[in-house]
Amino acid sequence: MPCENYKDALTEAAASGADPANALRSNAKMAALRAHFESCASCRTAFAEEQALFISIDAGLHATANAEVPACLLPRVRAALDEVEAPRLPWMSPLIFASASVALAFLVFLIARPHRSVSDDQAKQTPPISMPLKPPTGSHGEISPSSVQSPSTTANHFRAPRKSTLVHSAASSNPEVLVPPDEREAFARFVAELNARSDFAAAFVAQAPEKKDALVVVDPLQISDIELKPLESKETESSDRAGEKH
Amino acid sequence: MQELALIQPGGMARDEFLREAAQAEARREFEELLAECGPLAYRVARGVLRNSADAEDVAQEALLRAYRRFDRLRDRNRFRAWLVRIAFRLALDRLRSSKRREQRDTFWSHPAHQPPAATVEDLAVSNEFQAHLDRALGELPEKLRLVLLLAAMEDHTIDEIAAIVGVSAGTVKSRIFYARKQLAEKLRCHAKTIKTR
Repeated sequence: MPCENYKDALTEAAASGADPANALRSNAKMAALRAHFESCASCRTAFAEEQALFISIDAGLHATANAEVPACLLPRVRAALDEVEAPRLPWMSPLIFASASVALAFLVFLIARPHRSVSDDQAKQTPPISMPLKPPTGSHGEISPSSVQSPSTTANHFRAPRKSTLVHSAASSNPEVLVPPDEREAFARFVAELNARSDFAAAFVAQAPEKKDALVVVDPLQISDIELKPLESKETESSDRAGEKH
Repeated sequence: MQELALIQPGGMARDEFLREAAQAEARREFEELLAECGPLAYRVARGVLRNSADAEDVAQEALLRAYRRFDRLRDRNRFRAWLVRIAFRLALDRLRSSKRREQRDTFWSHPAHQPPAATVEDLAVSNEFQAHLDRALGELPEKLRLVLLLAAMEDHTIDEIAAIVGVSAGTVKSRIFYARKQLAEKLRCHAKTIKTR
């Protein structure tokens, strides 16, 4: 049992790893402890036990902290990394991405607004077909944009200010035709035929007759004046009755 | 429609290419750090959980979480400290949840006054002290526990621990001293018991 006065001091000495026997003489507390050890055997024993305790603690901590790392850990993590989503880039952080999206949407709005009005005007003023057709003059010369459309792969599409091809194709005033690949050749032949035979083209693109669902104008009924004629003579009627009696 | 779908502006393709290149670079950089710091994450988790399987799960989770948030780490030299903190936090969370589960199971399966059955480790004297030490380590305050674990790991100087934990070197020394002292107070009686056998 250590002396009560030196109990804390020897515990601190053991905890700090200091040995009073080798402590510097300038350290007053250690010097006092060393002097006490020379005269107190129980404190020497207690100090040795404390030292052994701390050595055991350090050894146990070392064993706990430096446990063998399983060999499968890193391969397992690498396999999991392949399945996990890749880290986003700094410039793709949500805040920046959101602000950039808003700015881009505003920019697209600014660009699209005047473009749409101009293209609408053009659609009203110019014939909406880009094929080299020669529409006949006259009342049936106007070509309906819904009846014939030209192929879509024109250079204007790539020079268009808007990048979205889908939106552009929907909103563009230039007529377009979406042709499946297997029908492309047939369509080219059809266009060539139209170019060669202008009469056929004119007939084809001629304005459709009036729609059936237009209001039907009904002429008022022509009813002639009613002519009132007098009934037949009473004599004839009386002779008929006499004949029946007989 | 098919023709239109094939048309892509060149800028988008270039951005995509740059993005993939940057991702590949980040992955390569992370792989290098993984080989260096992966074992550290495991050991920190193992020191807290005292269970190899749980520690492996936690280390993997910590590394995956670090990978997902790798872009947020501006100074890559801080990766080690960052990973240690992630692993330590996850291990503590796992420990707490397992303790709650254990208490719940104990409540239903054992009467409260009966102590839990001795484990196989407790039967061996050499492992008994280690078991008491692990238990005492788990009862230490978190900030003392992390510093003590890092100090017990190989190749960690006081300055490195201070950099990892984000405190001064004097604070690290002080925490190590008090942590060991608290462990000694908890283990003194067990050490004497084992010694007298």
